[in-house]
Amino acid sequence: MKFRCERDALTEALSVAGRAVGSSSGSLGLSGIQATLTGDRLELTGSDLDLTISAQIQVSGQSDGRIVIPAKLAESIVKSLPPGAVSCSAEDDELLISSGRSEFSIRLISANEFPTLAEADDQFIELPADALVDAFRQVVTAASGDDSRPVLTGVYASNEDGGLRLVATDSYRLAMRDIPGAAEVLGSASSALIPSRALSELNRLLKRGDSVRMHMGESEARFEVPGARLSTRLLEGTFPNYRGLIPDHHPNVLTIERTALLEALKRVSLLAKDNTPVRLQMSADGLQLAAIAQDVGSAQEIVEGTYDGTDLTIAFNPQFLREGLEVAPGDHITLNTIDELKPALLRSPVAEDFLYLLMPVRVS
Amino acid sequence: MRLVVAECTVTYEGRLTSRLGRAKRLLMIKADGCVAIHADGGAYKPLNWMNAPNIFIEDQRSWKVSNQKGEVIVIDLHSVESDTTVELGTDPGLQKDGVESHLQELLSEQPDVIEHGLQLIRREYPTEIGPVDLLCRDAAGNTVAVEIKRRGEIDGVEQLTRYLKFLNGQPDLAPVRGVFAAQLIKPQAKVLAGSREIDCVEVDYDVLCGVERPQQKLF
Repeated sequence: MKFRCERDALTEALSVAGRAVGSSSGSLGLSGIQATLTGDRLELTGSDLDLTISAQIQVSGQSDGRIVIPAKLAESIVKSLPPGAVSCSAEDDELLISSGRSEFSIRLISANEFPTLAEADDQFIELPADALVDAFRQVVTAASGDDSRPVLTGVYASNEDGGLRLVATDSYRLAMRDIPGAAEVLGSASSALIPSRALSELNRLLKRGDSVRMHMGESEARFEVPGARLSTRLLEGTFPNYRGLIPDHHPNVLTIERTALLEALKRVSLLAKDNTPVRLQMSADGLQLAAIAQDVGSAQEIVEGTYDGTDLTIAFNPQFLREGLEVAPGDHITLNTIDELKPALLRSPVAEDFLYLLMPVRVS
Repeated sequence: MRLVVAECTVTYEGRLTSRLGRAKRLLMIKADGCVAIHADGGAYKPLNWMNAPNIFIEDQRSWKVSNQKGEVIVIDLHSVESDTTVELGTDPGLQKDGVESHLQELLSEQPDVIEHGLQLIRREYPTEIGPVDLLCRDAAGNTVAVEIKRRGEIDGVEQLTRYLKFLNGQPDLAPVRGVFAAQLIKPQAKVLAGSREIDCVEVDYDVLCGVERPQQKLF
């Protein structure tokens, strides 16, 4: 294999494919990135068996071939080279990387050690990328990062009234987003549990183009954007019955400017370290945020807003509240509450298709 | 549970094709048919695995595990260090603290948690159709029968309905209303209870035990 290309293009492709390379895969082959050169097309692929990402770039190819290169080392080398053209040439079990006066020779990984990816001949459907970017971002934030409960690390996708509904929960909060008219994403399946990590990575790739091609199989989902492909194993298991968690009535409603609350929360949270909750005192006068940290100090701030309900002080984990505010659409949000112990609902008056359910912290 | 420690190579074909090179590993074949291949590291996630139901074919040097999705794992055994089968029996499942009897004991000591002003008349109040978990008197002096479950389902509502019918036939107690208390009450049970004018109360076991659990969970 021999080719020449621009450093920045190669660096980006190595970075994209490298995001699927596991940190401790237990297999030498999976610590590498597979590089396949066909004519002037170079495809770089990383995989940890659950998630596979390929990036394609145009190069000036001289001889075709397939090699597996150590992912982290190759990316570090290429990134450190001076801007301009990079030449790569593989012979026997070594890859020669050169640019200007720099020259590196690195040992290759046996190509047999790398998984062989099945060629996709599936039926894809195409969706506008911008419809998905916000939706994925809004729900992924509520997914769990705890692998001991794999089901909660996924985003539950289901058909809902001819649209696609995405739901994620880590048991402390729940985010839900409906995408009207996108039910065909699931194909013949009524639902799928997609790893949130895969959707986070997909969101990075969606910035590459206006549309995404998707295929949802029985055990795998595939996505294609210009210059990159991503496939992920679907999670198995039963997603919690999320419908029963969403209260159908909240007597207290706080309507407030989203950014104003978010900025005030960030300020007050400076005194809410180590899981200290932030208290929201709501009354007809508006909202007061407060945090008290033992042996450190306290913070409070009044934020203008409209409150309709009985006076209430409710406390939240500041991180969970902040993340909900960050993904909520629109200039204003409503915080709908029942009492200081029952789940609160964060919504946007202009976007009925989004909700963020949040459990309070019990305070004395 | 069959536990085999063997030097082996493993190939997987399905969503993709992968290969685990020759190395010593722990192979687990569980009673339900699940197969897992473990390295000597990591808390729980196998290097590769296949859930049941699957088809397991074993010969002297090789195992083949396949499923209906077309996935196939082939394990080639180069040398077997140990091969043991242990009968584990039925697992009792994760034991949780909030058993009904303890919940009943805790609520009998703190009936106010169920309803403000509630006072205990008797725990395990005997009737001819079985004991009522808690018989109480409310702030207005009326009798209240409380049925306590860890998980509140329709069966529990039916059971309380039978007790209420019986107790309301007792002139010295009637009128008796019902309260269904549980750590978690299913929506169907809430609907049924509501249609029979039975109040539902979800109680927090940790709080009853005096355990501080400030960050509450949705489920």
